[in-house]
Amino acid sequence: MGMEQVWILPAIPVAVFVVLSLFNAFIPRRGDFLAVLGMLAVVILVGFVLADFQSDFRDHVFAPQFGSNEYSFEWLNIGAGFFLIEFSTYVDAITMVMLPVVSFVALMVLIYSVGYMHGEQRYGWYFAALSFFVAAMLLLVISGNLLQLYLAWEGVGLASYLLIGFYWERQSAAEAAKKAFITTRIGDVGLLIGIILLWRVTGTFDIQQIIHAAESGMFSQTYLTVSMLFLFAGAVGKSAQFPLHVWLPDAMEGPTPVSALIHAATMVVAGVYLVARMLPVYEVVPIAQDVVLYTGLLTALMAATMGLVATDIKRVLAFSTISQLGFMFVALGVGAVTAAMFHLFTHAFFKSLLFLGSGSVIHATGQQEVSGLGGLRKKMPITATTFMIGSLALAGIPIFAGFFSKDEILHDLLEHGPLFAYVVLAATAILTAIYSTRLVLLTFFGKPKNQHAYDHAHESPPVMAVPLVLLAVLATVSGFFAVDDVGRLFGFVGGIGQLVFEGEHGHLFELDPLFAATATVMALVGLVVGWIYWHGDAKRAEQAQGWSPELHQLLVRRYYIDELYQGVIDNVILGAATVVAWFDKRVVNETGVDGGAQLIGFFGLRLKFLQTGRIPNYVLAMALGVLTLVLVAFGKA
Amino acid sequence: MIPLENFLILSGILFAIGLFGVMARRSAILILMSVELMLAAVSINFVAFATYLDGDAFNGMVFALFVITVAAAEVGLALGIVLRLFRERRTAYVDAADTLKW
Repeated sequence: MGMEQVWILPAIPVAVFVVLSLFNAFIPRRGDFLAVLGMLAVVILVGFVLADFQSDFRDHVFAPQFGSNEYSFEWLNIGAGFFLIEFSTYVDAITMVMLPVVSFVALMVLIYSVGYMHGEQRYGWYFAALSFFVAAMLLLVISGNLLQLYLAWEGVGLASYLLIGFYWERQSAAEAAKKAFITTRIGDVGLLIGIILLWRVTGTFDIQQIIHAAESGMFSQTYLTVSMLFLFAGAVGKSAQFPLHVWLPDAMEGPTPVSALIHAATMVVAGVYLVARMLPVYEVVPIAQDVVLYTGLLTALMAATMGLVATDIKRVLAFSTISQLGFMFVALGVGAVTAAMFHLFTHAFFKSLLFLGSGSVIHATGQQEVSGLGGLRKKMPITATTFMIGSLALAGIPIFAGFFSKDEILHDLLEHGPLFAYVVLAATAILTAIYSTRLVLLTFFGKPKNQHAYDHAHESPPVMAVPLVLLAVLATVSGFFAVDDVGRLFGFVGGIGQLVFEGEHGHLFELDPLFAATATVMALVGLVVGWIYWHGDAKRAEQAQGWSPELHQLLVRRYYIDELYQGVIDNVILGAATVVAWFDKRVVNETGVDGGAQLIGFFGLRLKFLQTGRIPNYVLAMALGVLTLVLVAFGKA
Repeated sequence: MIPLENFLILSGILFAIGLFGVMARRSAILILMSVELMLAAVSINFVAFATYLDGDAFNGMVFALFVITVAAAEVGLALGIVLRLFRERRTAYVDAADTLKW
């Protein structure tokens, strides 16, 4: 089992999906163990692929963009290569970061779900849909060509729709699922256009060939910039960046483990993955790369501000995810693939940890709003501790994972990007620390605000608690994978910096003491501010709210962007639709279809009198006809 | 020899009389007679051409023979129809069959 057989990885969850979706009613426990075992198998197999990758990689140390197109299978070939659809896999360092993340977090989520979703309706379908999602995600990260990637991209979008709308009996859930799908669809159209544009010039969908073509100047700057911007549109949609970020907060209507897996660790990073994969092409068109940078920057700041005032635990985490994805795009915007992928890696662990932890809280208290929580750390020690570890990681406190990856991004930004961008991102980092502290304090500290819920609260069963602990361990230690010695311990040639290179300026992971100290100070400032405002009964926070109710409202209503979009839909889109509907009714239907029939009727009503039934009339008609023919024949001659 | 045109004019006049008869007669039998007259006119036409233009070949005369045969068969059939009409309507007048109208 090596890199060549990597196609087996998505095949296992697909098989699980097929079995569960069709037969879950006939399998004991509705087949949840099948999903878990399948995922465990995938995790183990990923280990084998990793080993194979390592041994090949050692021979290619410091070779930029080392990867191999190990396996391909021709599906449709028109015109001997003019239009080639194939199934191809490509394994490189980026893939090797994604595979363990996806499979391990999925495994944790699946195990957790056995406890969380216990007794729910459509339990079997839940596991089937989750397996389908993992299959599509795995397919996405191993894809060697853009068309296959697009297929998997749509697949994860579909899975997201199915899972957000899992509780479809609830109107809000059905609406949220629709919103998610339609919003990402807008991005997907852009992605498809981009793919087609790239194909038009290069004649291929294969990613490495396209990168090669772009680097060797096959494209004109304008054309390539436009194509990459379209491609980025897909990433914007899928990774919930501004302006297509609106679906992610609403997507919290889905079951919490789904939020942990799809909307924190895996699907939403598909956009980051795409841009990272195509980064060599982005480097050829700096304008497009700048768009990536500034989109990420804006989104990061915006989302952090919204997370500051959100009152539903999951919503805070959703905004946090959007913000952190913005961080990753900022990194890509300055060409720092290592930093972006590293942050993706650590973020997956601590964010899914936070989501699962919030699920624990929701499961125990039945409350999602912080107005019904408080003081839970005594009642749910494991959840509280792991949640705090996750928060510290998110805030960027040293030794926890988030510190290393965020530090790396800020460092690269300072070195390669404009100064003001660094300032903005640093401010966002402080905001991150503030809102994560806020969340922890409001949920686990202070006096319980809903005594009834508090009394009923209990720690989660082991099946839920163990994944929390494992993820917490990772949230603590995964940062150290950046350090060379740790990497060598695991048989790599070095730390994570050795794995992924950023074009020409590949560098080893450096820990600049001054920089690290600055970053730590920023995080601590955030922690302190958060404590000042929200500790105890959070009086200061309420006062702050009173200073500017308009500002507060602006943030709570998410900058009124949802209202704006609804306005656009109501006026522009439905307006256009009204015109088209008028055209369809009056021109096509009434004039075309009905009109045609009416015309026939009109003439028929008048011509029918020719049928007199009298034979002499018919004889006359025959004679006249023959006469006409003769004259025509004579005329021609 | 008489010029060919004379025969053709004769044929034409006979055909016209026959055509008139078909269009203007009420009695079915008379219509049939007019049809026969048209067929005869056509035969004269064919034979005239055969004699004057064809030389050794006599296609026209052969065709005239065919016409006569067909005319005979057709009259037999037509009289059958006329009989049927008579039995239905008690008259041989063609305007009795006028129900297939708008």
